[in-house]
Amino acid sequence: MPLTRRQIVAAIPAAALASQLPRGARAEDGRKVVTFWFGQANSDGQATLRSDLVEAFNASQDKYLLQIEVKGAAVNNLLKVALVAGNGPDIVQTAGPAYLTAIANAGQVLALDDYADKYKWKERFLAPLLNTSVYGGKLYALPRDYESIHLFYNKELFKQNGWKLPTNRAEMEQVADAALAKGIIPFGVGNADWKGVNEWLMTVFLNNVAGPDNVRKALSGELPWTSQPFVEAVELSKAWFNKGYFGKNYFSLTIEQSFLQVVAGKAAMALGGTWSFGTKSYGMSKPDTVMDVTSVPTLGSAFTGSLVHLACGATLSIAKTSQNPDGAAAVFDFMLTRKFYESMNRDWPGKWALPVKDLPPDMLQGIGYPLFEKTIATLHEAFSRGQYGFTTWTFWPGATNSYLIDGIEQVWLNKITTEAYLGRMQTLFSQEAKDGKVPPLPPRTA
Amino acid sequence: MWLFALPALLINVCIILIPAVLTFTAAFFMWDGVGTPVWAGLANFHNMFDDPVFWSALTNNFIWTAIFLTVPVCIALLMAAALLMAPEARIVVQSIIFLPRIIAVAVTGRIFQGMIFSPATGVVAWLNEHGFSISDPLADPDRSLYAVAAVDIWHWWGFLAVVFLAAMRQISIDQIEAARLDGAGFFALFRYVLLPGIRPTLTLMLILTVIWSFQVFEFIFIVTRGGPAYGSEVLATLAYRHAFFEGDVGQAAAAACVMSLFGLCATAAYLWLQRGDDARST
Repeated sequence: MPLTRRQIVAAIPAAALASQLPRGARAEDGRKVVTFWFGQANSDGQATLRSDLVEAFNASQDKYLLQIEVKGAAVNNLLKVALVAGNGPDIVQTAGPAYLTAIANAGQVLALDDYADKYKWKERFLAPLLNTSVYGGKLYALPRDYESIHLFYNKELFKQNGWKLPTNRAEMEQVADAALAKGIIPFGVGNADWKGVNEWLMTVFLNNVAGPDNVRKALSGELPWTSQPFVEAVELSKAWFNKGYFGKNYFSLTIEQSFLQVVAGKAAMALGGTWSFGTKSYGMSKPDTVMDVTSVPTLGSAFTGSLVHLACGATLSIAKTSQNPDGAAAVFDFMLTRKFYESMNRDWPGKWALPVKDLPPDMLQGIGYPLFEKTIATLHEAFSRGQYGFTTWTFWPGATNSYLIDGIEQVWLNKITTEAYLGRMQTLFSQEAKDGKVPPLPPRTA
Repeated sequence: MWLFALPALLINVCIILIPAVLTFTAAFFMWDGVGTPVWAGLANFHNMFDDPVFWSALTNNFIWTAIFLTVPVCIALLMAAALLMAPEARIVVQSIIFLPRIIAVAVTGRIFQGMIFSPATGVVAWLNEHGFSISDPLADPDRSLYAVAAVDIWHWWGFLAVVFLAAMRQISIDQIEAARLDGAGFFALFRYVLLPGIRPTLTLMLILTVIWSFQVFEFIFIVTRGGPAYGSEVLATLAYRHAFFEGDVGQAAAAACVMSLFGLCATAAYLWLQRGDDARST
């Protein structure tokens, strides 16, 4: 039957209303809807989310219906506006504790302590990661994953050139100089598509030169950022940049282009995150991969050995205005099932590496990705034992972190001095510490 | 008469005046975007004036304005005059020069970033392979602003040329033919007939260029994000960084107020010039 113009006009507001179904709505089969806004995911990632999370959760019970929307890189901005307007999703995912701090301080998310008791989350998550979401003694989020910056390297290239895996700054510079002499870029890194690469590098320099204890003191306000260990860290980053260790095209190459230089043997090493395991073009899951990975060695005299860096790449909370907090909590608990852990880490390695305490070795072996399994096992052990450094995107407050990222380019390009850079960082950090914007630090021991 | 204007007035009040007043008010508060705003007086402005990045961003806005008041305007005027003289080429040439305007900004930005300037995949890489030593201008803090401006000029000048051509076509053909009979060449015709003939359009476009230059955001954000080392930072990217990376809405609002101030000055200048024109025509 053809529709009249009047019917069409009348249908428009109804359709508009239907597209904006309030949270707490029920699906046709009577299930309560749980809404979840996700950040960035490529087509493979979106397919994984649909199959391993949405369809698997919805098939696992008959009370709740999970609906996920991929919002892209702007999700953090959208979330803030939506939460203030009381119109956000039930499940609030942030890009880590640094983003969660403002939302938790504003009371926009629920304290999860009752659910944590019910589902025994405090017994199941690694304490250092879980503690990054504790404010005023209350738990406001669960960590979705753990990350760290690792040293990726082309093992075939090392073998061909007789290079040994560096264990300290001198050995690292020896390999880098040898690579430069052969026309090989020491580190394949580039920030053309993501300026945050600067902070991956600065996480390594601050922790591996100044040492994690000094970083902890600075984040606690006991040591200024202008002190000598940090001067040495920034100076080393500048020296490496100016010696060409990061190549001539650091500002022109994307993350993928620069990492592929290592895979192709045009660069020797990369300082990249554990999320690199999820990029299929790197071919690191193949048995014949030329790549290998290890934790970053000391670059100063503050400690010996190597270091992983504690990072939580995303947190999961429940909105204060959620009409269905029980459903959201049920989704969180589903994520802790062995089936979900295995399927998600097999299909999207590194994206959803839940920092659980009870990680039996055979659970990782089922993934079929030796480099990833090895790295997760290393992280798990280091975080369990409380031996780790601190990543800037997890523990630095917003303005200080933003300046750390953009300001370091001024140092590297000789626009300002190291002292001016650290002085400005200290000023911003002091103000943000005064305003209560510094994310919580985990206790010294795990 | 007021009733006729009411719908447009209501829309303007809701989507322009109220957000503008709220932004102005936010400049006097400390606010992270989700919590409770706290009165800060002039602290956001003090912090802004103490920040060297603000002054370099403001300088970059002035440089951008100077570039866009001259380069694309000159190219567009010459092309419009040439097309006026060669009517048979108008349709084809107008279609070609207008094409960049209809390509999405994000696509244009990525094309220049990846296919022109990139030393790995762009024309720059090809030139380097063939013996020319050229670096990526986007990677140089002293050249990145000019490189992004070149991208925006490529995107913008065709539109200006079409606008100027439309204005030139309003000039009396008798006036143009009389000038030609008097022996005026292309440049004399351009200087003494065409330019005076499109003066109101030219003035409007120059004023709008000033306003848009202080609002410029998308090309810079897509291509360089204001870097490297703040080399291409402008007020709009600075405000965005304050609001969305640093969670400091008050500081962002203060930067936005400065942007609006220059837009207001340009608007006031336009109104003043228009009043002069009205007085002359009556």
